[in-house]
Amino acid sequence: MRRYHLVRRADAKLNRTLIYYAIGLLVSLTIGAILLWALGINPFQYYGKMLTIGLVGNKYGYKSIEGLLKVFVPLLITSLALSLSFKMRFWNIGGEGEFLIGAICASIVAFNSSGMPNFVTVVLMCLAAMISSGIIGVAIAALKVKFNTNETLMTLMLNYIMLYVIRYIGDTKADWNFFLREDSERPIFGSFPESAMMGGIPLGKFKLLWAVIIAVLLTAIVYIYLKYTKHGYEISVVGDSAATAKYAGMGVGKIVLRTMFISSALIGLAAALAVSSAGTISDTITNDVGWTGIIVAWLSKLSVPAVFVTAILISILQYGCQAAATQYPAIDVNFADLLQGIILFSVLVADFAANFRLIKKEDAKNA
Amino acid sequence: MLDVLTLFLFNIIVYNIPLLYGTTGEIMIEKSGSLNLGVEGTMAIGAVAGYLVGARCDNLFIACVVSFIASGLVGLLFSFLTVTLQANQNVTGLTITTFGVAFYYFVGNALSNSPEGWPKLSGTRLDAQSQAIHIPGLSDIPFIGKAFFSHGILVYAGILIAVLMWLYFKKTVPGLKLRAIGENPAAADSLGVNVALYKYAHIIVGSGIMGLGGLYMGLNMGGTFEGSNCWINGYGWISIALVIFANWSPAKAILGTFLFGFFNTLRVQNAALAYAFPNALGWLTKIPSHFFSALPFIITLIVLITSSLTAKGKSGEPQAIGRNYYREDR
Amino acid sequence: MEYAIELKGISKSFGPVAANKNINLSLAKGEILALLGENGSGKTTLMNMLSGIYMPDSGSIFIDGKKVEINSPEDSGKLGIGMVHQHFKLVERFTALENIRIGMRGEGRFFHGAEVRKKIEETAAKFGFDIDLDKKVSNMAVSEKQTLEILKVLCYGARIIILDEPTAVLTVQEIEKLFNVLRKMKEEGHSIIIITHKLNEVMAISDRVAVLRHGDYIGTVVTKETDEKTLTELMVGRKITLNIDRPIIEKTHPLLEIRDLTIKNDEGATAIDHINFYIRGGEILGVAGIAGSGQKELCEAIAGLRKIEEGQMIHEGESIVGMSPKKILEHGVSMSFIPEDRLGMGLAPSLSITDNMILKNYNESKGLFVDRKSAREEAQKVIDKLEIITPSTETPVRRLSGGNVQKVLLGREIKSGPNVLITAYPVRGLDINSSYTIYNILNEEKKKGVGILFVGEDLDVMLSLCDKIMVICHGRLQGVVNSDHTTKEEIGLMMTGTLNIVNKEGKTDGIAKDSAFTDEEGKA
Repeated sequence: MRRYHLVRRADAKLNRTLIYYAIGLLVSLTIGAILLWALGINPFQYYGKMLTIGLVGNKYGYKSIEGLLKVFVPLLITSLALSLSFKMRFWNIGGEGEFLIGAICASIVAFNSSGMPNFVTVVLMCLAAMISSGIIGVAIAALKVKFNTNETLMTLMLNYIMLYVIRYIGDTKADWNFFLREDSERPIFGSFPESAMMGGIPLGKFKLLWAVIIAVLLTAIVYIYLKYTKHGYEISVVGDSAATAKYAGMGVGKIVLRTMFISSALIGLAAALAVSSAGTISDTITNDVGWTGIIVAWLSKLSVPAVFVTAILISILQYGCQAAATQYPAIDVNFADLLQGIILFSVLVADFAANFRLIKKEDAKNA
Repeated sequence: MLDVLTLFLFNIIVYNIPLLYGTTGEIMIEKSGSLNLGVEGTMAIGAVAGYLVGARCDNLFIACVVSFIASGLVGLLFSFLTVTLQANQNVTGLTITTFGVAFYYFVGNALSNSPEGWPKLSGTRLDAQSQAIHIPGLSDIPFIGKAFFSHGILVYAGILIAVLMWLYFKKTVPGLKLRAIGENPAAADSLGVNVALYKYAHIIVGSGIMGLGGLYMGLNMGGTFEGSNCWINGYGWISIALVIFANWSPAKAILGTFLFGFFNTLRVQNAALAYAFPNALGWLTKIPSHFFSALPFIITLIVLITSSLTAKGKSGEPQAIGRNYYREDR
Repeated sequence: MEYAIELKGISKSFGPVAANKNINLSLAKGEILALLGENGSGKTTLMNMLSGIYMPDSGSIFIDGKKVEINSPEDSGKLGIGMVHQHFKLVERFTALENIRIGMRGEGRFFHGAEVRKKIEETAAKFGFDIDLDKKVSNMAVSEKQTLEILKVLCYGARIIILDEPTAVLTVQEIEKLFNVLRKMKEEGHSIIIITHKLNEVMAISDRVAVLRHGDYIGTVVTKETDEKTLTELMVGRKITLNIDRPIIEKTHPLLEIRDLTIKNDEGATAIDHINFYIRGGEILGVAGIAGSGQKELCEAIAGLRKIEEGQMIHEGESIVGMSPKKILEHGVSMSFIPEDRLGMGLAPSLSITDNMILKNYNESKGLFVDRKSAREEAQKVIDKLEIITPSTETPVRRLSGGNVQKVLLGREIKSGPNVLITAYPVRGLDINSSYTIYNILNEEKKKGVGILFVGEDLDVMLSLCDKIMVICHGRLQGVVNSDHTTKEEIGLMMTGTLNIVNKEGKTDGIAKDSAFTDEEGKA
């Protein structure tokens, strides 16, 4: 007989959760520091370098901000999109695949857009990406709704199939293949024409890309969508209890299809913005946002404002590691992934500690 | 010409045995009702830990033990988070993959940049121990001997593990109890089976087996650390696909490994085959290698969809997979 | 007498609800004891303490005269107690043999002992079981599954066997077969406790009958020295006059009429069998019956959540058969069902009270957005009116106590202004005061001319609250009685299937004189 017993706390106080999360974060950074120290690196200096993303004492500091934002925008939008489907308890782990579909379709528009107005091209790219990714999302949702096919495994397979599709495009010299540079013997992805490049607002030397503004607006829209609209309401009911949703007369299948369309279309949009900002496509264009987005969504407990904040922090972590790598050759960007993993593990523990408590089991009082 | 075929068969086995380790390890975990998406990361950690300690001690057996333990510890982490703390299995597994692969690069980069450098394999005893064993008689059979009986110890061990696991599920009491947990943990619990203990034990052992597969990959790559390409190179993900293809049976996993391995080898050797048999296999060069790379995932996607269309009863998928078991829920 | 089991002073509470109060029970060696009681009288809780699922708060358990402590199902098994649960605990994809092997003790630690099959076959033969050990459970009929469950506990060497409502899922022939097995087991020296509601079965199989009522131990009688009427009285008790109002309102025309309705349950068995009834405006029609007599399926069918096999459902002259749940709701029929876990149907537990208020009508407001402002006002109104104790309107429903959860649910149903209100077990698990609040709410609605179908558990409450009570047993209508002209005993006899008064004095219960059905429709 277990003498101790875990009981879910009746109240989840925000304060307590935040404190536990902070402790978890601190523990993770400490573990990271020990690893750094073991390599003979001063952890404070390294963390300092990482968290300032190479801004300090750098006259090209604005480049760092631009670089950071290029990491941040796709991650933010993808995390938001994944939160939508997770909220419905639909395990869409196909962010990578959906991103690649969107990127490929946006690039098809981009490579064929010479001479078209910039605005029109970018809008068309976004539409192409959203529709193509959205259709794949709906197809998977339909199989889930109709035949209860395991969506986790389906989307997982999708990721790898799409990875090889883009590698195929990138490796194959052929007449039809307009993705590649014509002036190179070796297969190399070409650059987009000017018409397909993301524009922005120049602020001195710094250029604030429209993609950033779109991402911030999108955060607000998704927040409003989930919190205030009927659709958002339906998503939370379906996610909480599908039986109750049916009882209330909601078309559960329809809601799942619609939400998965929006979720994958948003990931497609993230891809279109990413390729347009980069001015090209590659098989590493996703920058693993499909995976990292899952971690961001989960760390944020699917809350939109928290996703925004977490996406910034994770972007700083990733871009900061890149920036610091120039000075610390022994550590590359994978240190960010390592830390990310440790942070998530600690936060899972912290989350548990915040929600459960251990009580001693009452002994039966035998008369 | 026969040489080309022999080499082809030889390569199917040599390059794809890690799939069998990954798959059998994952089958053991999934049979307990847990879906662990951390295969890639678990293999990576087992590979790095096993190789480094093994190279230092210059002993294959120690390398195996260490990689089993290191990956087993990853399994312990997964069990603790999902069984005891009831964390989401998908998220935990994916994070293990991110973490494990990053661990490989982190340690690799750190050592490569250190004065001692990354330990070399060639010429060591560890290298010799992992090379093909000459089995008198069998290895000398023409054609077949080279293809099937000229492998390192870890190849045979991988097949042996799969066969033993198949027997374990089929013939033993703990195997039966394990399958009962994967199907209906509440029923097993009511019959006095310790659900948490069984889950912990099998997740740890399953992860340990994956670690051996990782070690094999490292040794097969000549033990050289590559800063741009992880040793595991997606084999963990193919293993997850293979579990579905093999319908959760370790015996079918052996066949599945060879089928997926066949495509994999075709990708690498299509030119050689086309050259050897220009008339019969000349068309092979026209098929892009990427198609063969994607084929395991395409096949698995099709299997997933078709099996959900047909009767569920025949599928070997544990019914309680992916859901955490909490006794008070009953 | 030598006792296999003695329970002395057993009490068990779940929070504020006392499920068992100071219970003394004994089971003699080699006897069959029937455990009788209404729903919620604490039978299953008591038995679960023997099978190691719960531990008693106080009291002692003696097995074969020795004081024991049962802390887990394993302890219970070691003491020779085996329980056949009402909901089978079987692995569907395993064969019978494999299912038995999972829990087999001492039969080969690692490899399956070669003797296992022989041993199981011997046990099966000894008790006259006809079972294919290599058949998969998923291919088995319900009766086969039950046979397997019984064989399982016998193979584990149980000497004391507890069966929780074993006959609920069986046909008459299968019940006879089961009883033969039980008699055989008794001959072999096993002691048996059987939980059942059916008095004819109690009379047929048991040596003694122990009766529980509302968690209290009422007494034990020798079967031969009693009859069904006495047992019914012991089970339901004497009528207690409750202080529940029953305002008399002018009744209007039949609002909802059900004719020849037949429904199947999830397992495909007939749950409701050609039932007729109607509800007028301004009346409360009670539905009495043993748990699992088809109440849930009936409620779901009326709400459009379950397909019907046959029959008609007419609401204000229009058929609602085949309508979507939403349409039926818009038509003015509202249904609330409190399942055993209280949160399962009708509420989204993680959402706030406000959000749960608008579950059914969030779509009525114009535009894209959910109208939370008026929802919040409505939530506040319901909170004030029903005296719901909550920190705020934004508190997730799962944080509320049981009674308050139920008030939220009922409050929402009433707020939509239905003219037919179907409510099942609205006071399940509530304390007295909360219960009275709910009764008052229902009476308020009745005064407004709403027709109410009240599916209940407590006969005293139903006799006080309802105008009429229809009694069902195994999905069949046993009769509709006027609360003023009936007794608890009469209803008890109808519930247990002993009495059927549907066709008394030339008039058929359940069909209104002023029915909206034309004759042809009625026959169809």
